[in-house]
Amino acid sequence: MSIADSQVSSELTPVAEGGPLATAPVAGLSPWALAVRRLRRNRAALAFGALFIVLVALALAAPLWADVAGSTPSKNHLSDTVVVDGRTEQVVTFDGVPIAPTWQRKFFLGADTNGRDVAVRLLYGARNSLFIGITAALITALLGVLLGTLAGYFRGWTDAIISRSLDVLWAFPVLLLGVALGVALATDGLKLGPLVISGGSKWIPTIIIGVVGVVYLARPIRGQVLSLREKEFIEAARAQGAGPIRIMFSELLPNLASTILVFFPLLVANSILLEAALSFLGAGVQAPESSWGTMLENGITLLSTSPHLTIVPGLMLVLTVLSLNIFGDGVRDALDPRAKVRLEH
Amino acid sequence: MQRSLRGVLCLSFACAATLGLAACGSDDDTADSGGSAANGGKTGGSIRTAYTSFPDFLDPALSYTQEGWQTLWTVYTPLLTYNHAAGAEGATVVPGLAEEMPDISDDGKVYKLKLREGLKYSDGKAVKASDFEHSIKRVLNLESGGSSFYQSIAGAENYLKAGKARADISGIVPDDATGEITINLTKPDGRFPYILAMPFASLVPADTPFENQTKSPPAGVGPYEFANVRINRGYDLVKVADFNVADQATGKLDTIKVEVIKNRRRQTQDTIQNKIDYMNDPPAPDQLRDIRAQYTDKRYKEFVTNSTYYYFLNHNVAPFDKPEARQAVNYAIDKRSLARLFGGLLEPGCNFLPPGMKGYAKIDPCPWGAPTAAPDVAKAKALVQSSGTAGQSVTVFGNDEPESKSLAEYLADVLNDIGYKAKPRIVEGSVYFTTIGNAKTKPQAGFANWFQDFPHPGNFMFLVDGKSIQATNNQNFGNVNNPKVNAILDEANTNADIDAVADDYAEADKTVVSEADVAAYGHRKLTVFYSERMNFEDCTVWHPVYNLDFTNLCVR
Repeated sequence: MSIADSQVSSELTPVAEGGPLATAPVAGLSPWALAVRRLRRNRAALAFGALFIVLVALALAAPLWADVAGSTPSKNHLSDTVVVDGRTEQVVTFDGVPIAPTWQRKFFLGADTNGRDVAVRLLYGARNSLFIGITAALITALLGVLLGTLAGYFRGWTDAIISRSLDVLWAFPVLLLGVALGVALATDGLKLGPLVISGGSKWIPTIIIGVVGVVYLARPIRGQVLSLREKEFIEAARAQGAGPIRIMFSELLPNLASTILVFFPLLVANSILLEAALSFLGAGVQAPESSWGTMLENGITLLSTSPHLTIVPGLMLVLTVLSLNIFGDGVRDALDPRAKVRLEH
Repeated sequence: MQRSLRGVLCLSFACAATLGLAACGSDDDTADSGGSAANGGKTGGSIRTAYTSFPDFLDPALSYTQEGWQTLWTVYTPLLTYNHAAGAEGATVVPGLAEEMPDISDDGKVYKLKLREGLKYSDGKAVKASDFEHSIKRVLNLESGGSSFYQSIAGAENYLKAGKARADISGIVPDDATGEITINLTKPDGRFPYILAMPFASLVPADTPFENQTKSPPAGVGPYEFANVRINRGYDLVKVADFNVADQATGKLDTIKVEVIKNRRRQTQDTIQNKIDYMNDPPAPDQLRDIRAQYTDKRYKEFVTNSTYYYFLNHNVAPFDKPEARQAVNYAIDKRSLARLFGGLLEPGCNFLPPGMKGYAKIDPCPWGAPTAAPDVAKAKALVQSSGTAGQSVTVFGNDEPESKSLAEYLADVLNDIGYKAKPRIVEGSVYFTTIGNAKTKPQAGFANWFQDFPHPGNFMFLVDGKSIQATNNQNFGNVNNPKVNAILDEANTNADIDAVADDYAEADKTVVSEADVAAYGHRKLTVFYSERMNFEDCTVWHPVYNLDFTNLCVR
C-alpha cells in the first residue's frame, strides 16, 4: 500500500454493521480532495495564503505604481523637491538624509539615499525577491527530487556518490557558501559550457540559492524512496517488467508528491530569506536592480534618522516569509496531519 | 593614494605608477583647508582617541594609510619633513633630521645632506648616517607599497635583484663620521625632496630587522614613542621627554591613547559623552546632522582634503572616445546631488586639482556650469545625439563601498537620462582598482578618486598623463592621452622649482577639465570631532599631508 492509500484508509468513517447506513452508498474522496477539505478548514493558513497572493499581486502591479508615482526603481531624485502638506521639501537634504514617507503619490514610503522612491523600489524589489525565491525553490525541488530519487532507488555506488556530495554541501554553512559563490560569480558571471550568465544577472543568486538548498530536500526524498522501493507495488511493477526510469516516474514520484508539496512553500520562504541575506551582504541581486535585501543594506547606515529605509523592506520580508511558512504548515497538516516537516539548518 | 570610504586605503600597485613624476612645494589658497595657528594651549595631560580600524602597519617602512602616517609622523622624522602647520606652511618641505635642505647638483641627480649633530633615538642610541641607507633598504627589501618611490636611487634596482638584505645600495653613500649622506639618482627627479619627506624614509636604527615591526615598532626620532601596542586593539603614544630637535614640534600632550572602536556610531556617542576625546573618522552618517547643528566650531569642524573625486571616461572605448560624449557627461552630472551622496562631506568643484594644492587656479567660470548650479541636461542630450552615440550601452564601474556604489548608480541613471543604456557594475572593493586598471576589462566609465601622497600637483596629474598608461595596474583609468596635457607635464615634472611651474600645472588642470578628459566633481572633506576636554580653538591644526596634527593637540 502506498502512503496515499494509507491516508485514504485513515480518513474513512467506520460504518456500523447492519446499521441504517449499511446499505447507503459511501461517497469516496481522493486523498487530494481530503487534503483540500482539511486546508479549507484551516482559516489561518488560508488567510496567510491569501496574503501571499496579495503580495504577489502587488509585485506584479509595480509598473502601475511606478507610473502613478512618476518614477522608476533606479531613478535618482537627489536634488529634487516635493510638496508635502503644502510645504516644499527636499527629497534628500544636503546632509544626505532622505525624505520620510509622505503618504502621498510621490515618495509614498519616502526616498532612499540616492533619492529613489522607496515604494517603487519596494514593489520592484518584491518582483525580484519573489522571482528568485520561487525559481530557486523550483531548482531545488527539481534537483533535490532527482538526486534523492536516484540515490534512494539505486543505492550502492550511486547513493554513495550522491550522498557524500550532499554531505560536502551540507558541511558548508549555507550563508557562507552562498556569499562565497555570489562574490566569485558577481564579477565574471557563470560559464558552464553553453550556459553563460553575466555577472549582474539575477540568475546568479537564483542558481546559487537553488543549488545550496538541494540538500534540504534530497535527503528526506532519499529516505522516503529507500522505504518505498521495498513496497509491494514497486515489486509488482518490477515483476511486470517496468524499468527503473518508469518505476521512478510512474510509481515513486506520485507517492513523493505530497512531500514535495509540503516542502515547496517552505523552500520558497527559505530562498527568499537567503536571497535577502545574500543581497544584504552584496552577493545577491546586483545594482541597479532592487531587492528587499539590497534595500535593507542601503538603509542600515541611516537607521536612526531614516528608519523607514529598513522597516519597510524588513516588514515585507517578514510578511512574505510568515505567510509562506503558515500556509506551508497548513498544507503539511492537510496532506499528512502526523508529519512534522521542517527545514533544518 | 586611493582612499576607501571606510578608512584610508592605499594600494601598493598604485605607487608604481606615480614614479615618473616631479615634486616640490605646495600652497593653500582656500579658506577651509587649514586649522588655527595653534600657538596656545597648555601642555601635559592624556587623551583617548578612537580609530575605526588599526593602522595597516606601525612600521615606517611599510605603512601607507592615513591612520598610519598620522601616527608615525609623531614618532619618526625623515631627513626632510613638513612644518607642523596648516595650509601652505604645512605643505612646505623643511629640514627634518637633516641640518639643511639638500644640496642638489646641477644635473639634478646628486643630493647631499648632512645629519644634525647629537641626534638620538628614543631608546638613547645615536643616529648615524648609515641608518638612512638601512631604512631605505628595509622599504625596498620588504616590498613596501612605497618601494617604487625609491627605485630612482642608483643601485636600488640592483639591490632588489640581488635579493640580499644586507647588500649595499650603491647610490647611497653615508659617512657616519661626518653625518653626510650622498644620494645619487639615475635621473633627475624634481619630486625627490617630497619623497625624502615621506614616512617611508624615516630613520630607524641599523639593527632594525628586515621584517614587519608592527608588534614592537623600532625606536625613532620624534616627539612621541610607541608603548603598549595591542594589535588590532590600540596603542599609546608617549611623549619623549628629551626630544629636542631644532624647529621640530615637541608635542603638548603627555600621552595619546589610540583605541580601535569599529562602530562609528559608538565612537560618536562616546565623543559626545566625553568618553573619547577625538574620533578620527567622520561621525556616523545618521548622527552627522545633529553633530553639525550642535558642535560646529565648538567641538566639530570639517576640512577639505587634498583629494579629488571624479568619473573616469575611457577615451579608448565607445562612446567616450567621442569628445562630445564626454562633454555630455560633464554637462549632465549634478554636483549638488553628488555632494548629498557624501552626506555633505564633499566640496563640489570644477578643477581636477584640489584647492589646497600648488598649481590650483579656480576654473571660473566652469565650462560645464557652476558646481553649485543645476546641470544642463538639455545640452547634454543634444551632445549625445550629435555625437551619434545615443542608445549605446554603457557599464559604469563602482566598488562596494557605500558611497562609490551610490556614485556609480547615480552616473548610470544620469547616462540613461541623456540617451544611453547604462547600468552600474559593482566590483568588490579590494580588487576594484586592479579590475578597472586592467586593459582587458575595457571599463567605459566609473568611480575614481585620489588622495595625495605628497603635496605636489604632479601627484595628481599623473592620473591623466599619457605616459602613465599601462596594460595592468593602470592608474590612468580613462586612458587620457591629451597631447597638450602630456607636453605640459613632460616639462613641469622635471622642474624642481614648483613655483616656476605652478602655472603650467594650472594650465594642465584647466585643459583636462575644459576638454572633458574626465568628469571631476569635487574634493572630500574630513572632520575633527572632539570631547569637551579638548582645546578646540588653540590646538587644532589640520595638516595638508597628515590631517590632524597630533603634536599640537592639547586639553583645556
